[in-house]
Amino acid sequence: MLNLHNLVNQLNNMFRRLIYILVLILVFASCKNEKKEDFSKEFSIPDSVLYDGDLAISEAAINDIVQNISSPVEMAALIKSLGVPFSKDYLATTDYVDNYNTSYKKAIGLGVFGADLGYLNMYNKTGSVIDYISAIKTLADGIHVGQFFDFTTLKRLATNNQNLDSLMYISVQNFNQMDRYLRENKRSSLSSLIVAGVWIEGMYLVGEVARRSPSAELTEKIGEQKIILSNLMLLLKNYQKDPSFKELIEDFEEIQSLYKNVIITYEKGEPEAVEEDGMLIIKQNDKQFIEISDELMFKIINKTAAIRNKIIQL
Amino acid sequence: MRNSYLIFALFAIFIMNNNAAKAQSGQELVDLCNIIADDATYLKDFQVKLDAAKPGEEKPNMKFSVVLSKSTQYRFSICNSKDYTGKAIVSLYDNNRLLGTNYLVATGKNYPFFDFKCQSTGVYHIFIDFKEGEQGLAVVLLSFVQKL
Repeated sequence: MLNLHNLVNQLNNMFRRLIYILVLILVFASCKNEKKEDFSKEFSIPDSVLYDGDLAISEAAINDIVQNISSPVEMAALIKSLGVPFSKDYLATTDYVDNYNTSYKKAIGLGVFGADLGYLNMYNKTGSVIDYISAIKTLADGIHVGQFFDFTTLKRLATNNQNLDSLMYISVQNFNQMDRYLRENKRSSLSSLIVAGVWIEGMYLVGEVARRSPSAELTEKIGEQKIILSNLMLLLKNYQKDPSFKELIEDFEEIQSLYKNVIITYEKGEPEAVEEDGMLIIKQNDKQFIEISDELMFKIINKTAAIRNKIIQL
Repeated sequence: MRNSYLIFALFAIFIMNNNAAKAQSGQELVDLCNIIADDATYLKDFQVKLDAAKPGEEKPNMKFSVVLSKSTQYRFSICNSKDYTGKAIVSLYDNNRLLGTNYLVATGKNYPFFDFKCQSTGVYHIFIDFKEGEQGLAVVLLSFVQKL
């Protein structure tokens, strides 16, 4: 009888232990999932990548500054819409990614390779995509934003040559997440450099295509960059006390001085909203005229190419 | 002893339930909005969370500025969180002029997205508020449709 009582006690103790273990496993699993969702918020920022100079405008105001200044998607879509064949010759090489050894170089390199990735994605060149996403991952890790770049998923999509829309969506979104994180964590200087990198590489791609396959659309695209560059300069000049930025600003000012001779005029029209097939469409009805001579366009293309090559020549 | 592990189990169930009933995240809304945007290519997303308007005060709103390019058709898709009652109203401005919105006062119709045929490269402003100043959480997605 006593033995039976002991056995029941032992079983009871075992049962209790099992329940405790099970509950603990569930609690830890639950906490682990939660942490995965929010890990970005807990990410620590090394002081070496924080900009500590005087800012002409506050970080809050920088967050209010214009977005979508340079879009790799739009530049590449324009080139593709003109029926221009893909050329790998235009792209920056990823062979020397380890030479991007400062936060400044890594951030601007991220922008350059981001623009190239947009061009590759637009033409569905998944074979070369892996080199670029690997380079981007290395640079993103270097400035501690690699956690926003979903390398594994992108590599799988590129390797299997599947769901190419997702490849574009995830890569653009990852860049936006990096940009948002940098802006929100007082590292807007790096965010500005990424934007500058995307812009100069996008300009370079359009310029090189315009050299080989000139068209009115490309000429206009290059001319309208006068507006984009003035917004970009506002962003960059905020960090002009930094020697690296100072040099970049001086280079970009050389392009900007050429743009003084590009004339942009407007004719205002009344916007209208129409419903077509149940879809709401807003038509602007303004007219914008961009005057740029071929000679001036080639001067801008040459200057842009020289500055871009200087940036990637490490 | 029996009570102690009952409390322990209840605590664990509470934590797990908390996770299961987690609010709709911004990322989920972005993914949903990208489906609404259909075949347009994602460019940017703007996440907005606003408190309800206080009595006698103007509706709270948020402003974002973007560069849009000439001869390009863009799509603005709007996704509201199911966890809040507010329905987002998106208004697109150039300098000071309203170009269009997803909510037409005349018809009372609310569109889940609208397209903008841009004819002038420049800076545009997106204002987002919630209908009748209700509290809300929404994502507005900017995507590229085509060159015109």
